[in-house]
Amino acid sequence: MSEDMTHEAVREALEALALDALDASERDGVMAHVADCVTCQAELAALETTVGELAFAARPLAMAPGQRDRVRFRLVARAAADRDAASAPPLHVEPRREEREPASRAANVTPIGAAPTVRRRMSGSVWLAMAASVIAVLGIGAFLNARAERDSLREAVQLAATERGARAAAMDSLRASLGDKDRTIANLTGENVAMMTLTSTMPEAPTGRMFWDQAHDAWTFVGHRLPAPKPGRTYQLWLVTPTAKISAGTFAPSANGEVMMRATYALAKDSLAAVAVTDEPGAGSAQPTTTPFLVASK
Amino acid sequence: MGAHPDDAVLLRRMAAGDEQALGILYDRWNALVHGVVARMLREANDVEDVVEEVFWQAWRQASRFDPTRGAMQTWLLTIARSRAMDRARSLRRRREDPLVGDDGQVVTEQTAEGNPGLDAEASERRRIVVAALADLPNEQREALELGYFGGLSQSEIAARTGQPLGTVKTRMRLALQKLRSQLQILSEEAQ
Repeated sequence: MSEDMTHEAVREALEALALDALDASERDGVMAHVADCVTCQAELAALETTVGELAFAARPLAMAPGQRDRVRFRLVARAAADRDAASAPPLHVEPRREEREPASRAANVTPIGAAPTVRRRMSGSVWLAMAASVIAVLGIGAFLNARAERDSLREAVQLAATERGARAAAMDSLRASLGDKDRTIANLTGENVAMMTLTSTMPEAPTGRMFWDQAHDAWTFVGHRLPAPKPGRTYQLWLVTPTAKISAGTFAPSANGEVMMRATYALAKDSLAAVAVTDEPGAGSAQPTTTPFLVASK
Repeated sequence: MGAHPDDAVLLRRMAAGDEQALGILYDRWNALVHGVVARMLREANDVEDVVEEVFWQAWRQASRFDPTRGAMQTWLLTIARSRAMDRARSLRRRREDPLVGDDGQVVTEQTAEGNPGLDAEASERRRIVVAALADLPNEQREALELGYFGGLSQSEIAARTGQPLGTVKTRMRLALQKLRSQLQILSEEAQ
């Protein structure tokens, strides 16, 4: 419909606009008129109030206790991280990669390949198992403590900065740790972070979340209730595209079945088809050898 | 129709960066939000994601909440419907999913079994809107619900119900007008 709709024609479309049920072909014309018509603006506001009441027609539904607690846990953790990210002063010194990686890599994760983070085009026939550079993995508890740790680290940085003759290496190390905490928080709470939920067919019902910070090509995987891998086996995380399965590294969950794992990999927004976790032989595989037990389709 | 006093306090605490206030808000209203989202989406994972998104948005926009413009519940439910509709449309675009939720179901639910998760004010508002919807002719209520809970456009409703587009437009328009009028009458009676 053209943008020069009559007042009467627009008036008849306001109910659908308030319900957000107007077809796209009509919407622009209606919106253009409403923008300049005080009468229609008032009517639309009243209709939107009515529409707002419709939600009460849905019966309140208690969430399953596990689900309810899980969502609450994530929300409070994200909010705490968000609060700190908003109030933290910006870091001026970026650690060098060769200094950062050894300091932040945890013992229970083995990166597949040690290639530096690079943007590269997908090749349909080639496994890109070596492309993902796993930066760090922390226990989930470590993430929850990230705020406190960061505060301590920041104080240590400030203290060290005021001491004459502070050793540069110590400073770099502290800044590296501090920067890593900041990145963890930013990768979970940034504006362009997509989140996928992984679900499982296993009886233990492990779950996982993948946070994809598209602005920084950063991937953060958080897993819960993961059973310990069998002897000689490991878990491996995959980014699945229509043409490739890209390893994001192997991991073993903590004793309480939790893991947080970070990887950096540049992937076009539309090319991710799924995120999956498989059970693989000891050092991991170039491609999945078992059916994924934890999967999220994007 | 002001905000619940405690809710207003929670919102202020959230705006000031108190994550525990978000937890309390979530404890108080998750069943209400979950009810709307679960009605619009079929998959449990989608429902869980969207419930989290709703409260996350509340956290990020807590400073924008204006208690003079309506109650906290309405604000939260508006977010819930909007986020659930985004997800439903996205899923339909990707997978051509059939309409989610209990489409076409007549909303004449009775409140005899109680409304878990609602305070007295929210329970009363639910009672009124359910009664107002029950007064609508079936075909008008269907058009309203397919638009509101199904997230369908008028053309999509016409295709789904086999009714001419003009008929769907008329039904939707009349339905919302009548609902508005009924809500006004019932609210005045309740006061």
